[in-house]
Amino acid sequence: MKLSEFSTCSELESLLPAYAESSLPTAEAERVVAHLPGCPACQQQLRELRALSADFDAALPEVPGTALRHNFMAMLEQQKQQLKPEAAFGGPAAPVAEQPAAKVISMWPTALASNWVRIAASIVLVAAGVFLGRQLPWSSQPGNTVATTAPATGQAAPATLAAALSGDSGHAVSASSRIALVTNSTKTAEPDDATVQVLLNTLNFDPNPNVRLAACEALYRLRDAPGVREGLANSLPIQTDPNVQIALIDMVVSLRVHRAVPQLQRLAKRPDALPVVRAQAEAGIGKLI
Amino acid sequence: MPEKYSHPAVTIGTGPGTPCIPTPITLSVEPTSDEALMTAVRADHLDQLVPLFERYHGPLFNYLTRLTNDRETGEDLTQTVFERILKYRSSYQPTQPFKAWVYQMARNVHADHWHRLQKQRADDVDEVERTGGLRTAAFSQQRTSSSHDDLHEALALLPAPQREILVLHRFQGFSYDEIGQLLSCTAEAARVKAHRALQALRKIYFA
Ligand SMILES: [Zn+2]
Repeated sequence: MKLSEFSTCSELESLLPAYAESSLPTAEAERVVAHLPGCPACQQQLRELRALSADFDAALPEVPGTALRHNFMAMLEQQKQQLKPEAAFGGPAAPVAEQPAAKVISMWPTALASNWVRIAASIVLVAAGVFLGRQLPWSSQPGNTVATTAPATGQAAPATLAAALSGDSGHAVSASSRIALVTNSTKTAEPDDATVQVLLNTLNFDPNPNVRLAACEALYRLRDAPGVREGLANSLPIQTDPNVQIALIDMVVSLRVHRAVPQLQRLAKRPDALPVVRAQAEAGIGKLI
Repeated sequence: MPEKYSHPAVTIGTGPGTPCIPTPITLSVEPTSDEALMTAVRADHLDQLVPLFERYHGPLFNYLTRLTNDRETGEDLTQTVFERILKYRSSYQPTQPFKAWVYQMARNVHADHWHRLQKQRADDVDEVERTGGLRTAAFSQQRTSSSHDDLHEALALLPAPQREILVLHRFQGFSYDEIGQLLSCTAEAARVKAHRALQALRKIYFA
């Protein structure tokens, strides 16, 4: 096979943009240089690419109108008002442990009270069940537990699923409790992208592989929600536990997530992955392409 | 006057899974990082969203305006992004780069908008039949920009995924690595896509 010259200009078309931005590897750049002098069409193409690039550099950004800042500040002010305890409790104060849902609903304006609020409420109900009912073993930090801060400030929102799962509000939540939280998060109505976000974060960042697996399964139940398939594909390079890796591979294959192919290809070549994982990734690629 | 959150006393967790060790950030000349600000927002210090708004509303507005070819929609969607930042602030993990997180959110906001638009167009079919006049491309009813130059008109004619990749790379300063992360592909695939998009744009631009 003769590689020293291009059979057609169309081959050059895919190289010229990189050549124009001087990012082409030397060997390929040399081939372009060899072809150019004899080909006015490719010379013209290169001139156009450079002119286009110059016009990009010269383009001015759109400047947003003042309404944007005004609306943002108004929205922020409104949200701050809602964080205040007295604003959160319009009616007679109810015991926190008995009515966590009521508190959550008051956190968001009724205009937004759609599915999200229902889900948020259910998540916090679950969380509150864990926080207040079961008395899980926190590493106790005085004045910093949800049980004490929530009634004091009248805020339940920060004690949502995410905070509970990550344990970064100062509480070490046991892995089994995190699994329960994750599993229950999808058992209610129709979850939206807040739940998806939290589950994806758990899948990617929870230190315990069993919790990550539970997040994986929960996300599978939410497979039709926006961002789930993308998120599963994105998680492939992050995972190091073989069980999670295999679960994810199965999932992207059964969901026909074609965009996961590059990640599967890399996983199939990862030296630190177990042979069984690499084989599974290889087989997955075969089913997806 | 309610109790004010004082700016420099931000505390952040050390990351997921690790026990939280409050880390006071001392006031220095250096600007506070996006991540530290967002961590404060997450902890209900909502005023800390203001510097993030100052840093990101321009780029996000440009991104969304270019994607939708409409300034007004760009403003609406930018506002929606900041609403969602607040609404979903508890899902932000301090280990996540804020930029990646917020652009992912902006993409979702745009996708939601696009789906609404498709639905609306489907509903409009009846009306088109009734009035007999089929409107031309959606683009023709939407005037993009104050600076409506040839480049932006050509960009508007590209398919949305190609337009997005060029906007990210050329206007938003995203590296191919960052684009790959956002679009769930490799940096190399992002580079190839960007080059294809540039060739497609060239053909429109110099047609
Ligand atoms: Zn040629």
